[in-house]
Amino acid sequence: MATVTLAGLSKRYPGSDLLAVDGVDLHVDHGEFMVLLGPSGCGKSTTLRMVAGLETISEGTLSIDGRQVNDVPAKDRDIAMVFQSYALYPHMSVFDNLGFGLRRRSVKTAEIRRRVNEVAATLGLAELLSRKPHALSGGQRQRVALGRAIVRDPKVFLFDEPLSNLDAALRVGMRGELIKLHHRLGATMIYVTHDQVEAMTMGDRICIMNGGRVAQIGAPLDVYRDPADTFVAAFLGSPPTNLMNGRLNDRSLAIGDTTIPLSRDGAPADVIFAIRPEDIRIQREGSHATGEVVAVEPLGAETIVRFRLPGVASDVLVRGPRTVAARVGEMAPLAFDLASAHLFDPRTTRRIP
Amino acid sequence: MISRAFLLVVVVAYTAFAAGPFLWVATMSLRTTSEIALDHYAWPGTLHWEKFPQAWFNSNYSVYFENSLLVVAASVVVLTVVGAMAAHCFARYRFRTNRLLYFVIFSAIIFPPQITIIALFQILVQYGLYNSLVGLSLVYIAVQLPLTVYILESFFARIPADLFDAARIDGYSEWQIFWKVSLPIAMPAIATTVILNTILLWNEFLYAVVLITDEAKRTLPLGIQRFMGDQLEDVGMIATGLMIAIVPVVVMYVFFSEKLIQGMTAGAVK
Amino acid sequence: MAGAAPAQAAVADAASARPAATRRERQPWPAIVGFLLPAFTVYTAFTAYPVVRTLWNSVHSVLPRNEKFVGLANYAALAGDELFWRSVKNTFVWACVSPLTEVSIAMLLALALYAKIPGRRFFRIAWFTPVLMSYVVVGIIWVWIYNYDWGAANAILRALGLARFAQAWIGDPAIALPSLILITTWMWTGFNMVVLLAALHSLPSEVIEAAELDNCGWAAKLWHVVIPMVLPTLLNLVVLSFIGKMKIFDLVWITTKGGPLWSTETVSTYTYKRAFEWSTFDLGYPSTIAAVWFVFVLAAVLALTWAFRRRDRLEY
Repeated sequence: MATVTLAGLSKRYPGSDLLAVDGVDLHVDHGEFMVLLGPSGCGKSTTLRMVAGLETISEGTLSIDGRQVNDVPAKDRDIAMVFQSYALYPHMSVFDNLGFGLRRRSVKTAEIRRRVNEVAATLGLAELLSRKPHALSGGQRQRVALGRAIVRDPKVFLFDEPLSNLDAALRVGMRGELIKLHHRLGATMIYVTHDQVEAMTMGDRICIMNGGRVAQIGAPLDVYRDPADTFVAAFLGSPPTNLMNGRLNDRSLAIGDTTIPLSRDGAPADVIFAIRPEDIRIQREGSHATGEVVAVEPLGAETIVRFRLPGVASDVLVRGPRTVAARVGEMAPLAFDLASAHLFDPRTTRRIP
Repeated sequence: MISRAFLLVVVVAYTAFAAGPFLWVATMSLRTTSEIALDHYAWPGTLHWEKFPQAWFNSNYSVYFENSLLVVAASVVVLTVVGAMAAHCFARYRFRTNRLLYFVIFSAIIFPPQITIIALFQILVQYGLYNSLVGLSLVYIAVQLPLTVYILESFFARIPADLFDAARIDGYSEWQIFWKVSLPIAMPAIATTVILNTILLWNEFLYAVVLITDEAKRTLPLGIQRFMGDQLEDVGMIATGLMIAIVPVVVMYVFFSEKLIQGMTAGAVK
Repeated sequence: MAGAAPAQAAVADAASARPAATRRERQPWPAIVGFLLPAFTVYTAFTAYPVVRTLWNSVHSVLPRNEKFVGLANYAALAGDELFWRSVKNTFVWACVSPLTEVSIAMLLALALYAKIPGRRFFRIAWFTPVLMSYVVVGIIWVWIYNYDWGAANAILRALGLARFAQAWIGDPAIALPSLILITTWMWTGFNMVVLLAALHSLPSEVIEAAELDNCGWAAKLWHVVIPMVLPTLLNLVVLSFIGKMKIFDLVWITTKGGPLWSTETVSTYTYKRAFEWSTFDLGYPSTIAAVWFVFVLAAVLALTWAFRRRDRLEY
């Protein structure tokens, strides 16, 4: 296991002025599971590939265990990677796929056999060792890809959206497997995904990226509760955070036609008011606003209710219990848990503390 | 890592090897034979463009060219239609003998010409089609049919069945479905086979040399061979004649290089 | 040039790509027959029937206006026909050597272009050009190149001070066949290169990257990953090249006509001569040659296909 430090890491593709990755600062501790999360095209995969050595670094430094590795070739960085498409060698058996990296590093045959069998046993691949990849299911291939990385006993594990190609049921199962694996090996892992559920459940810390830049780094629940900007607030959480335009006055916040009493220092300004659907309750007690029910979505375990607030452009989503009684067209009182709400500056999109 | 420079040297050397002969012929085509005899490798001093009309008119070049044009055009048109019909049928209809019949036609690709050519000679003579462009065209159609059906069948098979179902619901007859649905969608593949067949038949020699002996019916490859026989040591004239034969192919290549390459390598990548 | 995919592939193909059975069980038979009739008419008349006719000829002596059944006499004569066996040997040598040269050089060139040297679009187009030319044109040009006095081959040797290596390339029975093999290599390497380049580009980049992480330099990547993954295409090209050389006629006819001293006689030139040039007028014997050769070619193709069969499809 090792630490990985990215300082001002940037990537510019030749012939383009745009930075695919723009000044990423990130430190991954010994044995930490760091998730790089973000939408497609945000630069998370490119960042991972720079750590792997599969992409050249345009600016900034990359260090593994304190040693700068910008110019060290990929094979000498002692890292292993699990690819989205698994990238198994199609003409080699599972055993050879697992042992190839070791063979190439002149590990003794007996040692290779020992390690491969050990890893195959833990991943449930023992019966499949003589098969070729095309005779394996998606889940099995994924485990071989995983095994190939484990058998190398690297300092750092890199994962590039490894669960994206699996169907939903398999994905949930593999998520659990990976978490257990991390606990067992205690290895440093950097994991790229666009799926926030994976990020929230697997990461020790999440690094959210947007447009090549780091939006926020922190523990999953911290980032969830205290998003740094509107992008993070909207990206995490399903259904997403309600974002409403409002105006902060002397002692109140005006959202559309509703006025909420609120005390804040500072001059009156336009703000974005953010509150999560689970922090709004449909109740008369302590209600701040009245909204018209637009749609009711019963999901079984809970119900999502859509409201129209007067003067507010987009619908407000509220998470209610299974038994919520609301009918389309009704007016209902809404109480906001202001302690959990946030204000964002509409120009910078950053949170106003 | 083998340095890029070394690779570049190898690559340039091979290009000289591959293209050199053509360049040589091109330069010789613009020089007179006496000039060539003095130095075979000099660049043309004066460009003797007049050799081209000379070659064309003094020999039977125009006849050869025209014959080739007729035969190839007729063959390719009929071949494409007939081949497409068969390919469409193999690809879209299920019937018990489908794969067997397809295999029968497809397997003919590996037949060596000798197994058919003697009998073809006999047949054409018997039915008065010997030394006729019609006879040669019919043979050409048969010769290229397996390859055409092979290329088109895999393409037709990839068309989604929904399109055909929709057409049937709309009341189209089977023939209309072929004409109005299959063919238009398969145009890229058809273009490929047309280009491929045109090149192959334009250059075809063996069947032509067996089935055509009449000077007036010679196709271009035969004509070039005759031309060479007639001119013997007139290297300059022959070079010009060769250029006339090469130019149409080069023109086609310049415009259709991508399609040509794809067409001729179709089915070779596994 | 033609695709000679094994029959198994065609059948396997059928299982996967055919449309699902429609709900209607009845097939439109009139349409099916209509679509297939023209093709099969032509095929029967000009391919199938001639094959049968040739086999018929092979057990007859077929003289003008006089056809006589001779049983297996032609076949017996063929067994002892030295020229025939000489031509078989020449053709076979050609068909075995050519694929090796054509495909290995093509692989090197394809790798060079794959390594992204500048100008690769131009090179790819330039190298493909010989493929488009008629064998007649190619033959004449190379007769000139091989000319002893002023041909390019000897001229270059002399210019490099290697005059003692100047040969009568196609005039010397010992090296005539290799000289012709060089010509077909010149013609077809470009074709193979284009196909291999396409195959290389279709390789999934992540597998190559995985090899990079597995401590593979460019040589190891080539040996352990790239070549095994393009092997199906390589083998396919070998088979295509083999079949093409088994049929070769045009080039020989224009350059050496089978000489000197039958060193370049191929089965196709020999058949042609026996049928149309020697004054025996008997079409029965050349038909015998054709029939036997037909069986040889089929057997060779089947053997190659079986040897190269891929029991597992390389899915990736």
